[in-house]
Amino acid sequence: MIRGLSLLGLLRALAVLAAALTTVTLGARGIDTLPDLVLPVVVAGALLSGPSRGALLGLGAGWVVDLVPPGSPVLGSAALLYAVGGLVAGAGRREGETSIAWVAAVVLGAAGAVALGRAALAVLASAPVSLGEVALRLALTVAVALVAVPALVRVEHALVRRHLA
Amino acid sequence: MALAAATLVVALADVSGWSATTHVRGAGAAVLGPLERLAGRGAAGALDTDDPGVRREQLGHDAAELARSLQEARQLRALLDSPGTSGARFVPARVVAVGSQGSAGPERVTIDVGSRDGVTPELTVVNAEGLVGRVISAGPWTSDVLLVGSADLTVGVRVGSAGTLGSLTGATGSTAGSGARPRPAGQLGLELVQRGAVTVGDGVTTMGSVGGRPFVAGVHVGRVSAVDPAGGRLAATAAVTPSVDVTTLDIVGVLLSAPRATPRAPVEGAAR
Repeated sequence: MIRGLSLLGLLRALAVLAAALTTVTLGARGIDTLPDLVLPVVVAGALLSGPSRGALLGLGAGWVVDLVPPGSPVLGSAALLYAVGGLVAGAGRREGETSIAWVAAVVLGAAGAVALGRAALAVLASAPVSLGEVALRLALTVAVALVAVPALVRVEHALVRRHLA
Repeated sequence: MALAAATLVVALADVSGWSATTHVRGAGAAVLGPLERLAGRGAAGALDTDDPGVRREQLGHDAAELARSLQEARQLRALLDSPGTSGARFVPARVVAVGSQGSAGPERVTIDVGSRDGVTPELTVVNAEGLVGRVISAGPWTSDVLLVGSADLTVGVRVGSAGTLGSLTGATGSTAGSGARPRPAGQLGLELVQRGAVTVGDGVTTMGSVGGRPFVAGVHVGRVSAVDPAGGRLAATAAVTPSVDVTTLDIVGVLLSAPRATPRAPVEGAAR
């Protein structure tokens, strides 16, 4: 059980690292607006493990985002934002089969919370906020998460079953 | 909960300028920088086999790579020929990662040169079009650059042919200074610090800092695109369109020394 959980944790950490690195390096290839690739991993984990563990997972994932160069303007800001995202997604945990509409609602809630927090931080730092870009990024994130979250949940279920069996 | 509180403390410490957070960032750069360098380089330079069969098989792949390296060579040539680097010593670099924290375009990028290449914090970064930003932290293999247009970056500038002094920032709203007007994303706010005239189309160049750090003098930053109505202010404010498009950065140069106004090489006397 412990080994299973730690393997799951390791895989989640690797997925978060890969997602964070992919986001920053794709940005350097001239792609302007990218979806948030880290959030689907957080949402999938939080949907399985509930709000408190979801927030913890979000905090860890956000620290990776904060530390991958060039990093965030304020160290720790992404960690706190993703912790809120994980908390929101974890609060949407339901026992048994869940419909894709419910997953969409959870994804929208978590991505919306992160986007709102990010925009609020930009306003506090008196940085310009382009609402069109924020909306486009939110739409892309939700679209990617709707494909990625069910797949990730399935993989995590399979892993948990294999180690519990 | 305790971890979230600790994170909040770190965030507050970073905002208040506590220097220990730079070590945390430095650790991240030292561990993850090499991964980004590898990812940013792609397949360039990986193909150095002499086997013609292998070469033929990879010809299609080669063509794409060749196009990319040709484009990079063209950009490097443009950088070498640009007035901003004339007579200056600089390290050419490639942008390997773009941060996406800002809500309106990138604020920070990572370049594939670091302290092992002689890069230190507070150096000017330029490309062929003009000022890109300044180095804010240098890891062993990569460095982070704060871009022009970021709210945290303020540049002392000279405007127009008269060289009126002003200050240029990407920040919007009331905290930017005395009544600066909100700007759309992608426009910089210029505020003169002395009385003088600004007209649309005036060139904006860096004023330069002591010792050329963080900014060397005379680097092109942009052009005045709109002048605000005076509205009772003592010094004029205006919007500036930056000459560098930070969303499509690729090859940049880190200036190690300021350019000479009239570069000249030493010669040897030949008296008989």
